[in-house]
Amino acid sequence: MTARLAIGFAWLAALAAVLFLAVPLLTVVAASVSPTPVFDLPLEGASLRWYARIGRLDGFWPALSLSLQIALLSTAIALVIGTLAAIAIVRGRLPGAETLATALVSPLMMPGLVLGIALLQYFRAVGFTATWSALLLAHLVVTLPYVARTMIAGLALFDFTLVEAARTLGCTYAGAILRVMVPALAPSFLTAGLFSFLASFDNYPVSIFLTDVRTKTLPIKMLQYIEEAPDPTLAALSTLILAATVILLVASDRLIGLHRMAGTSE
Amino acid sequence: MTAPDAPPHVAVRRVSKRYGPLTVLDRVDLTVDRGELVTLLGPSGCGKTTLLRLVAGLATPEEGTIAIAGRDVTRVPPHRRNVGVVFQSYALFPHLTVAGNVAFGLSVRGRRRDEIDRAVARTLSLVRLEHLGARRVSALSGGQQQRVALARALAVEPEVLLFDEALSALDRNLREEMQVELRRLLREIGATAIFVTHDQDEALTMSDRIAVMNGGRIEQLADPKTLYERPATLFTLGFVGQSTRLRGTVAAAGDGMVAVDTPVGRVAAMGQFLAGSSVVVATRPEHLRVVADTVGHEGSDRARNSVDGRIRAVIFQGSRSRIEVAAGDQVLLAEAPGRIASALNPGDAARLVWPVAETFAYPDPEARA
Repeated sequence: MTARLAIGFAWLAALAAVLFLAVPLLTVVAASVSPTPVFDLPLEGASLRWYARIGRLDGFWPALSLSLQIALLSTAIALVIGTLAAIAIVRGRLPGAETLATALVSPLMMPGLVLGIALLQYFRAVGFTATWSALLLAHLVVTLPYVARTMIAGLALFDFTLVEAARTLGCTYAGAILRVMVPALAPSFLTAGLFSFLASFDNYPVSIFLTDVRTKTLPIKMLQYIEEAPDPTLAALSTLILAATVILLVASDRLIGLHRMAGTSE
Repeated sequence: MTAPDAPPHVAVRRVSKRYGPLTVLDRVDLTVDRGELVTLLGPSGCGKTTLLRLVAGLATPEEGTIAIAGRDVTRVPPHRRNVGVVFQSYALFPHLTVAGNVAFGLSVRGRRRDEIDRAVARTLSLVRLEHLGARRVSALSGGQQQRVALARALAVEPEVLLFDEALSALDRNLREEMQVELRRLLREIGATAIFVTHDQDEALTMSDRIAVMNGGRIEQLADPKTLYERPATLFTLGFVGQSTRLRGTVAAAGDGMVAVDTPVGRVAAMGQFLAGSSVVVATRPEHLRVVADTVGHEGSDRARNSVDGRIRAVIFQGSRSRIEVAAGDQVLLAEAPGRIASALNPGDAARLVWPVAETFAYPDPEARA
């Protein structure tokens, strides 16, 4: 009886937690279809007119383009550097590999604000003023830990005997890497890329210090819109971003399984 | 089996391998005939796996040569050696199905699709997994994974099959079953194979010949029976099977025999030593017969050794029992069938009798320094 009660309570708590997490998102979605400029519950009718206004927001397209550029490019570079670093750490028998791994992942534990200020001062000190490149470098600092962490975990589970097996079965060394190691690590690679992209795309605290009047990433632009004109257009934009993220996650789940991405099994 | 004058299928000549200051293999010679199964047996760190990796091409020796089927492959990379390796971890490709794993070597070789399909079906039926081709390898049991690994190695029709502790990961019953089955299968297809293991029972069961390795060298290379009955060195004696040993000094020598003074009296043994040498005399416990009556006239003579003592322990081991007999400050190990052992009790006086022909003398490794 007590056990059943406890389980029931646990279920209730879980449900409450899910609601707590989901309600703000649902509110945004609801707000995005509000027919009036001021969001009010209960909704009286629905309208998609705010979606049509997204594209007409001042400076929206350049901001989106910049965010996508930075996110894609920093993710691509982080995947290359992070994977190579992970191989060195897992396989290289380096002295201090543990320390190196911790250092590589440490920006994850650093408050973004601190990171932003530090990077700003550093770039100033060395006279590095190109905003776009500075943003890219800063985002690399943000994304690299995600890639390094995921790839180190993936490689630690990878049995390098597989490469040897492939070689004895007729593969050249490069062929063995390509035919065996790459497919085996593909889930880790995809996970790393996904989280890295998302981390860069919605980064605010680091970007805020490095953008200028003409070069603004989407999250910064969005905050500016809110301050200027708080109407449901932003809710519509948020809903689109939310939908894109959900599609991305579902696609990845179909491809490799979310439980593997979260590292909760296998 | 081929004619005795046929060239060896695998020939390892004076091969050495060093990792930094550590010499892992020290001028090792080994030949394996076509269709022969040779086991490399030894404790961990003896160099057996390294030797296997050298034959596979996964490592290169500092000196010496390796030839497979008459071709010098010392510097040939693994993908051009045509060897099949079964790894301890099986190393199955997790992103491929069972059939995909077995087909791997052939598809890398660019064989035609229908040819590959036929070979995969044939090989899978050889290891009795024909019904599991479409399964993911992670969905298989340990024994099934082991068979897939074997099938994958067999599918490319390699010159030589190499097994690196291939059965160690299986539990005991399954391992013994696989030993017999693998032995039969390899015989059937006439495979030349080198088998690495640290398990002496596995080596005795599987092999045509066994190379006992120690400290980067082959201590003895012989068929299982010879290895067990006539171990050439004290290490082989100790590593394969149980033994009873006594330390002593040679008192008299001649005719390939020695009389050795031990703490429990004079013992005769086979061996060539100068009088005064420090030796270890040893025999297998099953040769020691326990006689409960110590006053009878059955004692030492030209063909028999005998030692009087007191039974210290009788350890039941199923069909046989282990009997420890204390004589002076020595403990001798004997073995007896349960029927005889049940009449023995700790504390009883007992006499141990065993044939001189089964007693061997070895140089005392501790006295050499």
